[in-house]
Amino acid sequence: MGLKQDPDGPDASKQQEFDIDKQFLAAPVKSVVDKFQLLPEFLKPIFSFALYHFAHIRYKEVWIGKPSTSIEGAVIELTPHNCRLSDLTYAAPIYVNIEYSNGQKTPPVAKKNVFIGQMPIMLRSCCCVLHRKDEAELARLDINFICILNHMVDITYVILIQEQLSKNRIIIDTDKKGCIQASVMSSTEATKSKTVIKMEKEKIYLYLNQFGTKVPIMAVMKAMGMESDQEVVQMVGRDPRYSALLLPSIEDCASNAVYTQQQALEFLDKKVKKPQYFSASFDKEGKAMAILRDVFVANVPVRQNNFRPKCIYVAVMLRRMMEAILNKDAMDDKDYVGNKRLELSGQLLSLLFEDLFKTMNEELKKTVDGTLEKPSRSSQFDFSRYVKGDSITHGLERTLSTGNWDVKRFKMHRKGMTQVVARLSFIGTLGHMTKISPQFEKSRKVSGPRALQPSQWGMLCPCDTPEGEACGLVKNLALMTHVTTDEEEGPIISLCYCLGVEDLALLSGEELHTQDSYLILLNGLILGKHRRPQRFANAMRKLRRAGKVGEFVSVFVNEKQRCVYIASDGGRVCRPLVIADKGVSRIKEHHMKELLDGVRNFHDFLREGLIEYLDVNEENNALVALYEGEATSETTHVEIEPFTILGVCAGLIPFPHHNQSPRNTYQCAMGKQAMGNIAYNQLRRMDTLIYLLVYPQRPLLTTRTIELVGYDKLGAGQNATVAVMSFSGYDIEDAIVMNKSSLDRGFGRCIVMKKMSAINQKYENTTSDRIIRPQRVGPDAERMQILDDDGLAAPGEIIRPHDIYINRQSPVATRGAMVSPLTLTDKDYKPSIQTYKGPEGETAVVDRVALFSDKSFNLNVKFIIRHTRRPEVGDKFSSRHGQKGVCGTIIQQEDFPFSERGICPDLIMNPHGFPSRMTVGKMIELLGSKAGVSNGKFHYGSAFGEPSGHADRVEAISDTLVKHGFSYSGKDFLYSGITGSPLQAYIFMGPIYYQKLKHMVLDKMHARGSGPRVMITRQPTEGRSRNGGLRVGEMERDCLIAYGASMLIYERLMISSDPFEVQVCRKCGLLGYYNHKLKISICSTCKNGENVSTLKLPYACKLLFQVETGASVNEYCSPLKINRSMILAPLVGTEQFRPKFLNSRFFATVNIFALLNVFNGPYLGRVDWKRPGCSDSSDYALESF
Amino acid sequence: MEGASYQRFPTVKIRELKDDYCKFELHSTDASLANALRRVMIAEVPTVAIDLVEIEVNSSVLNDEFIAHRLGLIPLTSDRAMSMRFSRDCDACDGDGQCEFCSVEFHLRAKCINDQTLDVTSKDLYSSDHTVVPVDFSDSGSGIENSEQRGIIIVKLRRGQELRLRAIARKGIGKDHAKWSPAATVTFMYEPEIHINEDMMDTLSLEEKQGWVDSSPTKVFDIDAASQQVVVVDPEAYAYDDEVIKKAEAMGKPGLVEIYAKEDSFIFTVESTGAIKASQLVLNAIDILKQKLDAVRLSEDTVEADEQFGELGAHMRGG
Repeated sequence: MGLKQDPDGPDASKQQEFDIDKQFLAAPVKSVVDKFQLLPEFLKPIFSFALYHFAHIRYKEVWIGKPSTSIEGAVIELTPHNCRLSDLTYAAPIYVNIEYSNGQKTPPVAKKNVFIGQMPIMLRSCCCVLHRKDEAELARLDINFICILNHMVDITYVILIQEQLSKNRIIIDTDKKGCIQASVMSSTEATKSKTVIKMEKEKIYLYLNQFGTKVPIMAVMKAMGMESDQEVVQMVGRDPRYSALLLPSIEDCASNAVYTQQQALEFLDKKVKKPQYFSASFDKEGKAMAILRDVFVANVPVRQNNFRPKCIYVAVMLRRMMEAILNKDAMDDKDYVGNKRLELSGQLLSLLFEDLFKTMNEELKKTVDGTLEKPSRSSQFDFSRYVKGDSITHGLERTLSTGNWDVKRFKMHRKGMTQVVARLSFIGTLGHMTKISPQFEKSRKVSGPRALQPSQWGMLCPCDTPEGEACGLVKNLALMTHVTTDEEEGPIISLCYCLGVEDLALLSGEELHTQDSYLILLNGLILGKHRRPQRFANAMRKLRRAGKVGEFVSVFVNEKQRCVYIASDGGRVCRPLVIADKGVSRIKEHHMKELLDGVRNFHDFLREGLIEYLDVNEENNALVALYEGEATSETTHVEIEPFTILGVCAGLIPFPHHNQSPRNTYQCAMGKQAMGNIAYNQLRRMDTLIYLLVYPQRPLLTTRTIELVGYDKLGAGQNATVAVMSFSGYDIEDAIVMNKSSLDRGFGRCIVMKKMSAINQKYENTTSDRIIRPQRVGPDAERMQILDDDGLAAPGEIIRPHDIYINRQSPVATRGAMVSPLTLTDKDYKPSIQTYKGPEGETAVVDRVALFSDKSFNLNVKFIIRHTRRPEVGDKFSSRHGQKGVCGTIIQQEDFPFSERGICPDLIMNPHGFPSRMTVGKMIELLGSKAGVSNGKFHYGSAFGEPSGHADRVEAISDTLVKHGFSYSGKDFLYSGITGSPLQAYIFMGPIYYQKLKHMVLDKMHARGSGPRVMITRQPTEGRSRNGGLRVGEMERDCLIAYGASMLIYERLMISSDPFEVQVCRKCGLLGYYNHKLKISICSTCKNGENVSTLKLPYACKLLFQVETGASVNEYCSPLKINRSMILAPLVGTEQFRPKFLNSRFFATVNIFALLNVFNGPYLGRVDWKRPGCSDSSDYALESF
Repeated sequence: MEGASYQRFPTVKIRELKDDYCKFELHSTDASLANALRRVMIAEVPTVAIDLVEIEVNSSVLNDEFIAHRLGLIPLTSDRAMSMRFSRDCDACDGDGQCEFCSVEFHLRAKCINDQTLDVTSKDLYSSDHTVVPVDFSDSGSGIENSEQRGIIIVKLRRGQELRLRAIARKGIGKDHAKWSPAATVTFMYEPEIHINEDMMDTLSLEEKQGWVDSSPTKVFDIDAASQQVVVVDPEAYAYDDEVIKKAEAMGKPGLVEIYAKEDSFIFTVESTGAIKASQLVLNAIDILKQKLDAVRLSEDTVEADEQFGELGAHMRGG
């Protein structure tokens, strides 16, 4: 009954999936179009140009065309897949119809289809070619998922959902000092401002950026025309406690001799910050007036200088503040999800677009002015010719690819708004789409925002959050969450008045807060009051359910604040719930049947008022029963399914409600690293790196979420038969023992595909690179074996490290005068081959070669290199319960334990992994999978699914096991494969879905004997990619010193690093040089070679001496005692004197801090450098440690 | 020192024998021998399997290595394997492993020309040697003949896709790669010996008896309808799970049943992949086990180690 079977319905599932996507799809382009529909509003000033007063341009209509690009004049329609392959931006042209006049007194000319720029298109949005295509069609088109594609490189970007505090709402909280304050972040189309009203020492002040200092609130009220203190008191409320709290402020105002509006304005004028630039409006009316009108709580509009709504708004703010003072419970919680808004790509893009559009118009004005100034113009003046789309195109592309949102008008400078979409696994991609990036910077060590909020229930996943600094700040959407988009306010306002809301304008201050009425607020704006709020709310809800008002409009009766909040703004999170009347669900059995039969779908339910979306605030007015059976007569709603409180990543975990909670969080992070299928078009993609599993499987123990998101079709793991036992000692610390035969048969086998690309560059002197036929004989012939006659590696060829995959030559001269490429001979070209750099000793295969021309019409070649790997010792695996482990050893099947049925595990896991991790879910998964393979059915383990049948109970599983001749406990009687005798204990054995994670030994293994060195310090390079050395760091060095292993330090830090021989003058102690002609050493300071000795030093040390000499600090060496010139010594340690290179790393040698220790030694009290027994003079640079 | 003779005379009793399945009892020996036999069957009985694949054309969805791996895992009839040579010690060819003594060549040519998906199966593999062919399961089944069954699927082709390759099969053992293992399942169990304490059993009511019988997850006991006596119907179904013993204890009747594992008799279950007959698999395993023992006995090390092993060494040489 109820919606229990809801997700069973195939349509329901599609619908829900659609809902997840919807928010990413519909918003962006449409809202930009919406913005254009608002154009008359924000572009009202008809452009008038300097000289010709009547020249103007007016935008009429705007629309976005089909995704296309023009190459050499020809328009080519784009598909996302083609864009990915050929590094193009998936963008569509924006066209406008304009009307312009050239300034003569002629009628305006209309011009249609003027191109103003390219808009990058979000995949499957309304402008995308994939819009409204179902899965089969998508598969046919070989294209898949969501997102914006971007330029130059084949990278897809996702615009992260941004979490913010609600705009235009009064938030009551305390500041750092504990003062209670009411703040409003006003955001309108024109401006953005923050207003703070704060109670300090019993007096109430206004803080506004435009005022240099705090301003008494009563002065502000008076300035807005509320000259009567009594009226203010009435507006705030007649409760004597409120007036008592207001009294000090009133007195303060009087003490400043502010009684009238005029006085108040004058008083405020003095407080205004000096404007940086002079504006006409400031001068005319007085600055304070303008600020109060345009900046102060800017969300409340002032029409015809009527400040009354603003006064009432301020009064309400004061009232809420006072309530909070009297009763701390009235404080708002900033972390409460209802006080937050999620900014979607649409909102962000439209902001950006608006800004760019304005810039474009400014440019347009400038160029047109310039043109019109010229006296003689032969041709007809055509405005559209000056409309250049470049700034919009490039602006959008740049912002999307860098993620830096710089919108000057709103003073918005945000970084990291976009991320390259994670294409490592299907779940990783999907999970990335649901990610919400936080408003706070991650470094803040606060616990409040990181804590799990009760109001997250059903909206944000309680499990899926990263570990570490972003823990709890980065969140993910839950399965059914919907993020609202802006809805028109006009109809709702008139509807409210129809339903009996008394208009604010008609109310006196006295009437505002009468006992029997509630205030009605729409999106933070006070509409008026209503005497029967509950009835009003019910009427609104009824209308919403009937579809007369938008389905995402929320109505929230706040009894405490005596307000009804109506919200239609964008960015609220909401989720669907089944409506229940007096505890009886509106969804009856026949509805469910129709759902299953596919006659109706989720949207029909919504339309018919069986289901509705509630946002976080409205949930407070609802009494939601978990199941229909638990409903009482007060129940207003029934949950659709409890497992929907989790997101997509956590939804993969079977029986997550039996696990310790951090384990689920770990799995959410790990599921994104699992290899498997990434998309249906995975073999056609040309990504830089793809990991695929050779035989991916669908989990035996599945969940409803898995079916809903399609993980059963694009799995990332394999069902391994796991024996939980100790074996061989190579399984300690979470290592797993693997069965060699299983690996032979394909378990854990994966394909790694890497992209290599090459460009056939064109040069400025019209020459270009060429790709030529390979040499079949000669020294390079062997490395060119895999090349075809066209000079490119052939698909299917086996490629080894150092093989050439493109036989390209570049012209010697690429600059200067034009050269005809035909005149160039072979001599004029030098080879610029590219070679494959892979792990030594491994071979890979050339999978595909693709040729295309890029934006500058150079020939580009992409090679996909495929490498099939079988698991080896050290590869990382994980189950779905946050239990990762590396392969500890691989053992022959005959040595593996076996049961009398002949079952032999694929891998062995150490039982010590269980007690401290408490992943009971994993045990149940094992039981369930074992029962599943026995009776040939997939078992379910959805979160909290036992009561509704979405998860099998252990009892039922045990019964199935017993029916098939297994022990109810899942334990088997095993024999040792080595001796053939029975094992002492029964072994818990069965299938568990294991994921192979992307971390593989082959990509990390690194060792070096001797190798490349860094040029300036002559020390070994850093990092595996540069075949670098392993660093003996400060701490390792400290250990060696403590142990007294001086010879080892000497060997590690000098001999094996950067030994160098210098000439030192024994007399002056400075470095000299060796004259190879005269074969003598000379000291250049003493100008002779009498007292010169050779000395071994680390090269970096010598370098330091020389750099210091450059900074007029001299190091003096003496064979007897180390003396240093201390003239400037203390300065060396300070930043200003440290040469730049000292900040770089020094490897496997004296690091710079050690060197500075040498230098600062006496100052640090480490005077006794010389240890007895170390007399060899060549030692002392090191000996000093 | 009087050396006691450890010599025993194991006996084998065959219970069931099919081409790919064999169940037999092994008596009067111990776990070491039984396990050695099992291990040899899995890892050391040679078969022939595809080892080298040269791909001419592959426009299928699966990549070359993928197909090569799949080909390798196809069981080939390997009755000749015992007499074949390992290509590494074949002297007829120069170690390239492509002569008739150590290898068999296969060809596969498949192209899909119509709109229906073409299944490329092991039947599309053409062998150069009629004794070494992919295992055919379709006629081995004693039951219903399934004409639809077309061997082991290698890859599916859609219109226009083609697969053309040459493959070389070689002799090998399961230790090197599981594809050479002729055994699908080789397992044994100790034969259980079940003693019901009839006197104590008689004290139970019928329901109690039924409850006790039902406590075993496998059907080992039953109640004789006529005499209402608990009887052992299938001792081998017992999985040494101790459930009945625990149940008896829970009922307050410890000692109701006593179950021992006969330490000297084993029930073997052998399932073959089809590469060689299950019976042949056992025989080959015994041969190989003998060869290995011979190798130990005859190796110089053994003679040298005589002093160390003393009696044991002499015993081994003496047989």
